[in-house]
Amino acid sequence: MTDQEIIQGIDKALLEEFEFNADDMRPEAALGETLGLDSLDYVDMVIVLERAFSFKIRDEEAIRKIRTLGDIHAFVIGKYRQQEREA
Amino acid sequence: MTRDAALRDQTRSRAARPRFGPAALLMNLTVYPLMALWTLLGIAIFPLIFPGWKLVTGWGSDRIMRHLIWLYGRGWLLLMSPFVRFRREGLTVAGIRPPAILIVNHRSFFDTYCMALLPVYDITFAVRAWPFRMFWYGGFMRLARYLDVENLSWEECVAAGRRVFAAHGFLLFFPEGHRSRDGRLQRFYGGAFKLARETGVPVIPLCITGTDVLLPPGRFWLQPARVTLRALPPVHPSQFPGPSGHLDLRRFVRDRMVEQLNGGTTEQRPTRV
Repeated sequence: MTDQEIIQGIDKALLEEFEFNADDMRPEAALGETLGLDSLDYVDMVIVLERAFSFKIRDEEAIRKIRTLGDIHAFVIGKYRQQEREA
Repeated sequence: MTRDAALRDQTRSRAARPRFGPAALLMNLTVYPLMALWTLLGIAIFPLIFPGWKLVTGWGSDRIMRHLIWLYGRGWLLLMSPFVRFRREGLTVAGIRPPAILIVNHRSFFDTYCMALLPVYDITFAVRAWPFRMFWYGGFMRLARYLDVENLSWEECVAAGRRVFAAHGFLLFFPEGHRSRDGRLQRFYGGAFKLARETGVPVIPLCITGTDVLLPPGRFWLQPARVTLRALPPVHPSQFPGPSGHLDLRRFVRDRMVEQLNGGTTEQRPTRV
């Protein structure tokens, strides 16, 4: 899976679950201010990503530093590549 | 109907363009002053009614306040009734059984008033912070122990929910968070559904239509309308197990409401109020 395909998978999963405005789905979009996620949504977002990519990330420290959609892209790509190396 | 098709097909109940005709003029000239009078009367007689009610029934202050708010809403329905035809569908005491979480779509400032169409009065509203800042309502809302979900932690919300359910009450959410600007059902925030999963309490979806004709966001004059409040069958959270159960519950409830708001059918017959 290419980076672009991972990004598309992330955006599709999040759009499907949270029904964001597609025009807001830019890498610089802030999860709170732009996309309107609240604190419970952050937890749900982790569940959605775990479900979409079949990995566990809820206990990862780095997940707490995510602020934008681009941060999610980078985090998931990194996690996906790590899984590939370990497989 | 598929989820995508349902979302595409959502139409607002505002079928016709708003018209400020003679009926609307009469409505605005009478209803607004009467509402102000009704509110002032309520505030004025509250110090007499409240302690008397408490003395006679021995109820808790919050329960009395919720009942009084419901009665205030019934008065509002009466004031509106020459200009607004209210209908309720599927709303029976037998069908709306406590404890439960009521989920309502949000199209107008007056949606909250329309909750007086419900056949039950012990309803704790879970709302954002701004309604508490309306000085003429805020004190009563606090006395009724309404939840300010913007300023409560998740743990406090769960504790408040458990308290409401233990007393066989209802907790009411507008899960869209804001009034819809175009009549379409917006995305649902997850708190109500997470709470349902955590407490095992069923969710009762309520679909309201017509209030966006009466007073949509961004307009200040009233227009005669037909308002319908319809209850859908309760949804039990136990049907949605697993760590993402609340997400599945949220989606299921929202899909049922989209379908209903699109003109889906139910077996209940409408009853004129």
